[in-house]
Amino acid sequence: MRLLIVEDDAAIRGFLERALLEAGYQVDSANDARTGELKALEGIHDAFIIDLGLPDGDGLDLIARCRAQGSSAPVLILSARRSVDERVRGLERGGDDYLTKPFALAELLARLRNLLRRSSQGQSDSVRLGAADLQLDLVRHEARRGDQMLQLTPQEFLLLEYLCRNAGRVVTRTMILDHVWRMRIDPATNVVDVHIYRLRSKVDAAGRAPLIHTIRGVGYMLKNG
Amino acid sequence: MAKVSRTTAAWRLSIWTTLAFALGTGLAFAIVHFLVAQTIRERSDAWLSGEAEVLAQVSTNAPKDRLYTRIVREVAELATRELPDERNSRGQKLNSVFFLAEHIDGSEAPLWVGPGSSDAVQKAIQAVNFGQGAPQSIHVEGWPTSFRVVSRRVDPGGIIIYLGLSDRGDMYVLRNLTRRFLLLWGATVLLGFVISYMSARRTLLRVEYIAEAVARIGSEDLGERLPESASRDEISRLAKTFNLMLDRIQSSVNQLRSVTDGVAHDLKSPVTLIRGTLESALSSGAREKWRDSVGEAIEGLDRLLHLLNTTLDLAEAQAGALRLDRRPVDLSGMVTQLVDLYQPAIAERQHKLAVDLERGLVVDADVSLLSRVLSNLLDNELTHLPRGCEITIRLRSQQGLAELAIEDNGPGFSPEITAHAFERFVKGKRSPGHGLGLPFVNAVVQAHGGEVRIYDRPEGGAGLVVSLPASVLHPA
Repeated sequence: MRLLIVEDDAAIRGFLERALLEAGYQVDSANDARTGELKALEGIHDAFIIDLGLPDGDGLDLIARCRAQGSSAPVLILSARRSVDERVRGLERGGDDYLTKPFALAELLARLRNLLRRSSQGQSDSVRLGAADLQLDLVRHEARRGDQMLQLTPQEFLLLEYLCRNAGRVVTRTMILDHVWRMRIDPATNVVDVHIYRLRSKVDAAGRAPLIHTIRGVGYMLKNG
Repeated sequence: MAKVSRTTAAWRLSIWTTLAFALGTGLAFAIVHFLVAQTIRERSDAWLSGEAEVLAQVSTNAPKDRLYTRIVREVAELATRELPDERNSRGQKLNSVFFLAEHIDGSEAPLWVGPGSSDAVQKAIQAVNFGQGAPQSIHVEGWPTSFRVVSRRVDPGGIIIYLGLSDRGDMYVLRNLTRRFLLLWGATVLLGFVISYMSARRTLLRVEYIAEAVARIGSEDLGERLPESASRDEISRLAKTFNLMLDRIQSSVNQLRSVTDGVAHDLKSPVTLIRGTLESALSSGAREKWRDSVGEAIEGLDRLLHLLNTTLDLAEAQAGALRLDRRPVDLSGMVTQLVDLYQPAIAERQHKLAVDLERGLVVDADVSLLSRVLSNLLDNELTHLPRGCEITIRLRSQQGLAELAIEDNGPGFSPEITAHAFERFVKGKRSPGHGLGLPFVNAVVQAHGGEVRIYDRPEGGAGLVVSLPASVLHPA
């Protein structure tokens, strides 16, 4: 997978390049809209990460020009603006995505994966999910750990499903709120953590190897061991 | 919109104008009526005096023989016929004239020319003290209108003659005048009222239009302007003044937005970098002993960002510069969703939560701002209550408003808060948080045209009511 980053802030560009390389992507970058457009039109990238405030133009105009010239790769927009304006929301409806700065790296990676999966249309809607000895039946809404059935509320099931889909990867509280509760809010209290504790008390009951791990400062991860 | 309401200024204005007009014309008529009545009376009096003089001379000069009575009678009859025979619409004779000649010593029967007998007239005359010359009004029994009577003393022979003219003709003329005036007056006043109402309404509709447009502009799009008509009257000037004011407001709002955007951008770029670097360090297998410190640093940064975002949001909200993306929101659905999210955290603190929501309440709101308002309120309950309290959340429709009440039986608001709760950084001395929550809630709710009320419940504990204009109540 090859990505193009268009970002004028050299430090952020550098750190994004490193983080994405580490996550296993090939990365090109540009520091303004003009170079970005030239590179984008080479047509070799699977996705673009574009900052909205570029020195020589608006990121949205760059996207519009690329689209007009036949580029169809999905775009992840980065914005330091405080409110998300209508045009950006429009892009979101069009299949692209946005992220406001500062963002959690985990969230950037998750959204990127999502975009790439959507664009390759390879998302197999499996009816079963699992990690280690945890099994989820998405049709019957049943969860098992080993041979034991877990008694979960519908919400706990959704939460566990989300963690399973991202097994081995960190999910942030914001991502959980966004995907499980469909809300973009930033609670000042530990509401999400309490949900996780409850879920953990059922999934990682005494005597079992813990599956749900807390990654301090970032979020949670479901992984074996 | 164009309904006639008694509370409109147009209605009151035209009522007062019409009243003034009616009073003015009425007064003018009263003066004209008085003058006409006076003229008519003078005319009758002049005729009476003249005829009385003639009769007195005839009485004086006629020889007092058998023919005397006949001569005087004929002259008197001539005089009574001299007035034009005015008749009313029913053919009734209007002018009644009488002539009476009395001997002072009562030696002979009085001479009477006129309708009916002389008795009633004599009686009436005796009741009045008659001087010579000036005519007087007397009321005669059996006659609906009074008589104007003049008397003359004819010296040789000791005779007093009386000549009387009924006021009926004069009254008829005056009544006719009044009747026609009233008819015309009523029509004019009515027409005047209609015209003044229409013109006042036309003018005030423009004012109303401006008021509506300004309210709309204030709550929605500051870029909109009132149409300025070419005329240079007061109302066009009002529209121009409003537009100038809107220009100024818009420019200060834009300025504020660019300042907050600038601050956000300048602060967020370095924070993004720091946060990202820390996070990569964490994921790239940092040594175990660093993990906690790095995680702590990230959490600190997140708190800093939360504070920064809330401060900037609040600054915009309080300046009325929030960008609202309004669409219909099912309020009970949103509250349910948030309650689901908060329920475990509430239970963890051993609070009891009672939720009573009226379904189908739709408000026109910005979803993300409104959900932040609600999460703010629930965060408040979580942070400020001691363990084991009771929390009630109630949603009701109240006269076109959606009212969301959150009450608890905790310690209530401290007095230093109740007065200034909606000001920035006001919080209880021992309460956690930075005191931006309630001001933010208040500013957002006000931007939606709603209102926040806080109070201490008489039975103990705090209460808070958010009321928002409901756009739909109970859709089918």
